[in-house]
Amino acid sequence: MIELLDINRIFQVGDQQVHALKDINLTIQNGEYLSIMGPSGSGKSTLLNIIGMLDQPDSGTYHLEGKEVTHLSDNEKSIIRSSQIGFIFQFFHLLPRLTAAENIALPMMLAGISPSERQKRTNKILALLDLTERAHHKPEQLSGGQRQRVAIGRATIMQPKVLLADEPTGNLDRHAGHEVIKILEQLNQQDITLIVVTHDPELGERAHRKIKFVDGAITIDTGTQS
Amino acid sequence: MSISDLLRFSFAAIIRHRLRTALVLIAIAIGVASIIILTGLGEGARRFVLGEFSSLGTNLLIVLPGKSETGGAMSVFSGATTRDLTLQDASSLKRHPQVRRIAPIVFGAAEASWQQRSREAPIIGSSSEMLSIRHWSLAQGRFLPPGELTQASAVCVIGKKIAEELFAQTNPVGKNLRIGDRRFRVIGVLASSGRTIDLDVQNIIIIPAVSAQNLFNTPALFRILVETRTRDSQEKVKKFIINTMKSRHQGEEDITIISQDALLGTFDKILTALTLTISGIAAISLTVAGILIMNIMLITVSQRTTEIGLLKALGASRYQIQIIFMTDAVLLAIAGATLGLFLGQGGNLFIHQLFPALDNSAPTWSVVSAFLVAICTGLIFGAMPARRAANLNPVQALVHH
Amino acid sequence: MRITDSLKLSSSAIFRQKLRASLTILGISIGIASVVLLTSIGEGIHRFVLAEFTQFGTTIIGITPGKESTLGVSPGVFANERPLTINDSIALKRIPHALAVVPSVMGNAEMKANNRSRRSTVYGVGPQMPEAFSFKLSTGRFLPDDDSNASRAFAVLGHKLKQELFAEKNPLGQKIRIGGNSFRIIGIMEPKGQILGFDLDDTVYIPASRALNLFNRESLMEIDLMYEQGSDEKKIVNAIKKLLIARHGREDFTITTQQQMLDVMGNVLNVLTFAVAALGSISLLVGGVGILTIMLIAIQERTSEIGLLRALGARRNQILWLFLGEAIVLAAIGGFAGLIFGYVGAQVLHVAIPALPVHTPVIYMLLAEAIAIIIGLVSGVLPALKAAKMRPIEALRTE
Repeated sequence: MIELLDINRIFQVGDQQVHALKDINLTIQNGEYLSIMGPSGSGKSTLLNIIGMLDQPDSGTYHLEGKEVTHLSDNEKSIIRSSQIGFIFQFFHLLPRLTAAENIALPMMLAGISPSERQKRTNKILALLDLTERAHHKPEQLSGGQRQRVAIGRATIMQPKVLLADEPTGNLDRHAGHEVIKILEQLNQQDITLIVVTHDPELGERAHRKIKFVDGAITIDTGTQS
Repeated sequence: MSISDLLRFSFAAIIRHRLRTALVLIAIAIGVASIIILTGLGEGARRFVLGEFSSLGTNLLIVLPGKSETGGAMSVFSGATTRDLTLQDASSLKRHPQVRRIAPIVFGAAEASWQQRSREAPIIGSSSEMLSIRHWSLAQGRFLPPGELTQASAVCVIGKKIAEELFAQTNPVGKNLRIGDRRFRVIGVLASSGRTIDLDVQNIIIIPAVSAQNLFNTPALFRILVETRTRDSQEKVKKFIINTMKSRHQGEEDITIISQDALLGTFDKILTALTLTISGIAAISLTVAGILIMNIMLITVSQRTTEIGLLKALGASRYQIQIIFMTDAVLLAIAGATLGLFLGQGGNLFIHQLFPALDNSAPTWSVVSAFLVAICTGLIFGAMPARRAANLNPVQALVHH
Repeated sequence: MRITDSLKLSSSAIFRQKLRASLTILGISIGIASVVLLTSIGEGIHRFVLAEFTQFGTTIIGITPGKESTLGVSPGVFANERPLTINDSIALKRIPHALAVVPSVMGNAEMKANNRSRRSTVYGVGPQMPEAFSFKLSTGRFLPDDDSNASRAFAVLGHKLKQELFAEKNPLGQKIRIGGNSFRIIGIMEPKGQILGFDLDDTVYIPASRALNLFNRESLMEIDLMYEQGSDEKKIVNAIKKLLIARHGREDFTITTQQQMLDVMGNVLNVLTFAVAALGSISLLVGGVGILTIMLIAIQERTSEIGLLRALGARRNQILWLFLGEAIVLAAIGGFAGLIFGYVGAQVLHVAIPALPVHTPVIYMLLAEAIAIIIGLVSGVLPALKAAKMRPIEALRTE
């Protein structure tokens, strides 16, 4: 469960201050499927980063599973990110020098899991994502859709509770985009909280709960409707 | 492209990546600075040694008994021969018009004592001319009296340390010093010569040559010092000495003559060779700096592919592109060398503060060569990246990003 | 994270850009190679000089007349009113554990034999010289143990002197005139070579008492005492001191042990080798700057990778060690390559200039590698810290 109370985030851009998040209050239950939409620069990516603990709010509190995580040390945040949160980016951010399988196994490597265990889990996920033939290819040899699937594999290999997707289909053609969204929604059905940031209205409509962001504040929140 | 435009273009490129450029400059500067500091030290040592030697006067010839036919006869220096050098031999050498002075040397050790104190000291038996030949001066009293070499007299001149150790606060002049089993009256005290390479002047005792021969019970001389009037007359005097000694020694050439000049020359060569060697080793670091230049430039070229493609599209020729990048490399080299120059001279100044006696300013030839080597490094190691930039396919380059 | 995984990740980053990595590695290897090469030469010279010295054996103590030392040589060697005598050397034979005592005088003289003449070294010694200096006879016999007041006029030729005067003829039994005196040749020494400027082969060996007469001297120049291997050197030195003070009335002599000389020489050579290594290290310093620069650039280029890893839950420490690892691996490979270059270079140099001795002790090679790794560590630390401190957001912002 994600609970944001009075979250504010201010950025210094040149000699101006940008108030990216203004008094945000948001509660998300486990297993929800949420979309955050809004014009560019409205602060939706910033919100995602706060939830993913990649960024620190200037004021307010963030509770995750009942525990306050706003002012945790960097190490503690890293541990939570590693085990509970998965990220999916618009530009994939795969390591070009690692194969598809190695990219997927990366979080396990960071966590110190043994090579044999890593292999087992990776093979399972590769099969699930239909990537087994591409396991030893480097990202430059994969299509956009395949790359994003590898990214999804990487994001879920540690069995996180929350998946944060920032414009997951932004760099994909329609077909690949559809495939990716299908996989994400399947994962949500396994009770993983799914939060998607997008400015594609079609994509946004699919979510069960829709939040609209304008100028750093939530203007619409359809709430926990099914 | 005009030179000023070229320079401005390169300059802008260089300061765009300040940290990167700074590090490359430091790398070159280290190489140049170490060359300057090391050659400064080497030259300083050389100047020091030569200076010390020449303050002794360069018109000095040293005659040793004994001659060697092979390179490995250090035995000549031990002074033991079948036919001795005598005082008469020494006097006979005065006869040449180009000989200004001569002084015989008898050398040994004996115990010197006064009242309760005693110590062993090196004893030099010589003549009054020794003072001028060696450019010594007196702190007190006078030196050995002039006169016939064969005249013995029971007088001595002592070094400062001997005076301190044996006489403490008392004035040694006029006192009777016991040397071996004889007595000698102290008539003078030598001043420190201020030169480090001199025979430890403060620790010796000088007595007339004949007295020393009597003391050590030997008719032999250790050396004969001959001072010529001018440098050019040295060769003539050398021949004269050899002939004179030959005729006096039954036609045998059983002496060796060392000229101060030759000694100096050898030292000079050795020290110069040493300086060149250590600078050469330091210069290897410039090669490493060059490799870094190449590496950085290759990276820069790959980062500026779009820019290069654009330039080519605007009509720049291969040659012009090459020139642009070579200019970058050479500018880096020159800037680095300049920084190195400052660092090096600064280092030399610092060392000079620590050792004021050392004149360790870097010689001009080393500064110039360091600069030239640095520039060559830039040229050599910048060539390959420049060529790569020049050969970039403009279409690919523009599409690349 | 496991170390093996961390290293693998680091290495894969390095080998992605082969040219860049090669050049960086080359820089370090040149530095290491020059240090290894130079110290090999230094060590080679060290061993060579020590071997030269110890060819006479290390259980030798030298006694010279006079105490005061100017420029390292006692002036008493040249002339002294209290001489070191042959009787002194005979007395020293009584010292416990003394195996051989050799009195010596050295000088330069003209010698004539077989209608040829030559000026070279005369070495007046005692009958025990061959055993004391491990210097063997080639033919004939050495000087007999005559009474020093009545030593017969025998001479033993050094190998080269024999060649110069007699060529292939047998000199045994022939006469040789040294400085006007006649001696009978009874033996020839084996070739021994030069040591520190003394050509032992271009020398004639005669009884010490005869040499003293020849050079009109009262005092020996040196007495050498060879003692039993394993005995207490200090005790022997003290015994010598006691005996000579009793005979001379005071300590008017200097005792130098071979070990002392070796130690002094060893120290000087070590300082030289160290100085020369320091010279080579200048290149290493520049190599380190190279690694620093390349790593800084690498981090600039890979900010999004850093952000990604952080997003995946990598801790600051892990990022630090990933990049530090890259620097260390680069340096370690460079060190290894440099080691090989340096060693091979030293061998090649020795082949080209056989007179130049080289020796590369294994410990130097290990040290060189260790130094390389330390350089990697030190030059990599700043960039690695920079990478670790990067905030994930900043890193991910770049595409």
